[in-house]
Amino acid sequence: MRRIVITSVAVLAVVLGIGSAVVATGGDSIVTKARVERSLPQVFSNIYLQQADLLGHTGLTAASLDATAMCDKGGPDHPDVGPGGDWICLMSWTDPNVPMPPEGYGKFELNIHSNGCYTASGSSKLLGYQTITDAKGDEVYNPAYEFDGCFDPNGDDAPTGHSFESVLSVLSTSVKPDPHGAATIQIGCGTGDGGCSGTVTATAGGKALGTVPFAMQEERTGELAFPTAFPAGTKEVTFTVEEDKGFGPTGPVTLPVLGG
Amino acid sequence: MTAHLAEPIAADARAASRRRPALGVLRWEVRKLVAQWRTRSVLLAGAIAPVVVVFVMRGQSRPPKDSLFGRYALDNGFALALLILGFASQWVLPLLTAIVAGDIFASEDQQGTWKTVLTRSASRSRLFGAKVVAALGFAVLTLAVVAVSTTAASVLVVGHQPLTGLTGQVIPSSAALRLVSESWLSMLPATLGFTCLAILLSVWSRNAAVGIAAPVVLGMVMQMVGSLGGVEAIRPFLLTTPYEAWHGLMTAPQFIGPMKEGLLTCGLWCVATLAAAFVLLRRRDITGG
Repeated sequence: MRRIVITSVAVLAVVLGIGSAVVATGGDSIVTKARVERSLPQVFSNIYLQQADLLGHTGLTAASLDATAMCDKGGPDHPDVGPGGDWICLMSWTDPNVPMPPEGYGKFELNIHSNGCYTASGSSKLLGYQTITDAKGDEVYNPAYEFDGCFDPNGDDAPTGHSFESVLSVLSTSVKPDPHGAATIQIGCGTGDGGCSGTVTATAGGKALGTVPFAMQEERTGELAFPTAFPAGTKEVTFTVEEDKGFGPTGPVTLPVLGG
Repeated sequence: MTAHLAEPIAADARAASRRRPALGVLRWEVRKLVAQWRTRSVLLAGAIAPVVVVFVMRGQSRPPKDSLFGRYALDNGFALALLILGFASQWVLPLLTAIVAGDIFASEDQQGTWKTVLTRSASRSRLFGAKVVAALGFAVLTLAVVAVSTTAASVLVVGHQPLTGLTGQVIPSSAALRLVSESWLSMLPATLGFTCLAILLSVWSRNAAVGIAAPVVLGMVMQMVGSLGGVEAIRPFLLTTPYEAWHGLMTAPQFIGPMKEGLLTCGLWCVATLAAAFVLLRRRDITGG
């Protein structure tokens, strides 16, 4: 019994020693931004072609799709390396049957394991729901709704250089006057490269309410307050975004005034 | 253990051991294994359990999407065979091999037969070699039984539709069968690694329960450590990592780097554990027990 206890303790000590040495040196993960950015478009292209086949879309090839991705783990402050369910990829591709949104890419969420295998799910707007109606009219499983992939742990790790701008959007659905009667709105900057910056100009019934600058990191929201109070009885306020960085709304955004 | 074996067999083995002593000892070990219900039930379970699992899976309404190939497992036999492979590599294969390898030395302790077997003109190193070869051979046989049973049951019951691989590529049925077989074959190095580990634990603990349970528990610990983020530098040294090398077979283009690294890892584990087991056995004072 003593022999077993002593040996067990010795083995445990060795294991803990090795373990802490590994932790101290900082494990280098095989899951890197570059490998994910190379793997996802490759897997996606094959899966997308399967879906196109079901839908009866012809004339597509992996080359014609020309999918490219930019991936990010855990927001701007987190290094883009290591397994986890917080990987976001932005991917663009070309399919004449399904036009891209104005920003030119779709967003994918990835859960990546330490062995280099992952599950990806994309936007239903571009890829459809769990089942789709195929060319024969049957409801079938949609291969692109969610898909699995694996990449080579020793694969090319040179940066791909792909980057996409964040989507800048007005998050508020109505305008709330602050105690002084001035308009405030919330804006959000999505996943992307370099964050968002620019100005927002507000007008209410022809009256300028002022121009407010903004600058924020990706995956952040911000609140903008306009200096001039809008006239009593205003029903709507129109906001025009002029962005330096980020991909803003394509036209002015008009929001109703709360209690207006 | 040996008492109930028929005399002609014993005479046969004695004759063999006179001709080629090492082979004779091995034959004894194999006969002892064959005579045990434990050995037979492992092989029987390895043949029947996959068939049961396949039928149960076919009755499911929701596919187990959390595991690789689970997404297509309910309507693709190849995917189901690979799903079961992924599951088997988590603890089933280490357990099946440890049931024999973890017991093969400890049983001599439990039955107090060390003196008997060693006075039968077999040296300790010869006996060690015979037991190791018997345990490794059993591991190969068990893996083959589980692999053939799983693949055959999955393909016959669920079907042999073209398979979606791990880069989204469509694999035609004929190629899929070959890749599934190769994937099962790739389970061999790590399974042999666990066999060696079980042998060491069997020699060291002199207790079959430790020899059988400890490799499974260690396997699960390695699995968990290997899936953690931040300590991934340890992954290449874990005995469970080679169990994942088959992923590279199912992609296009294939990658076999992890397979080669896995062979090296399992080889090192085997050499280290067997060497330790041999030293422990050589230095043991058996005259007392």
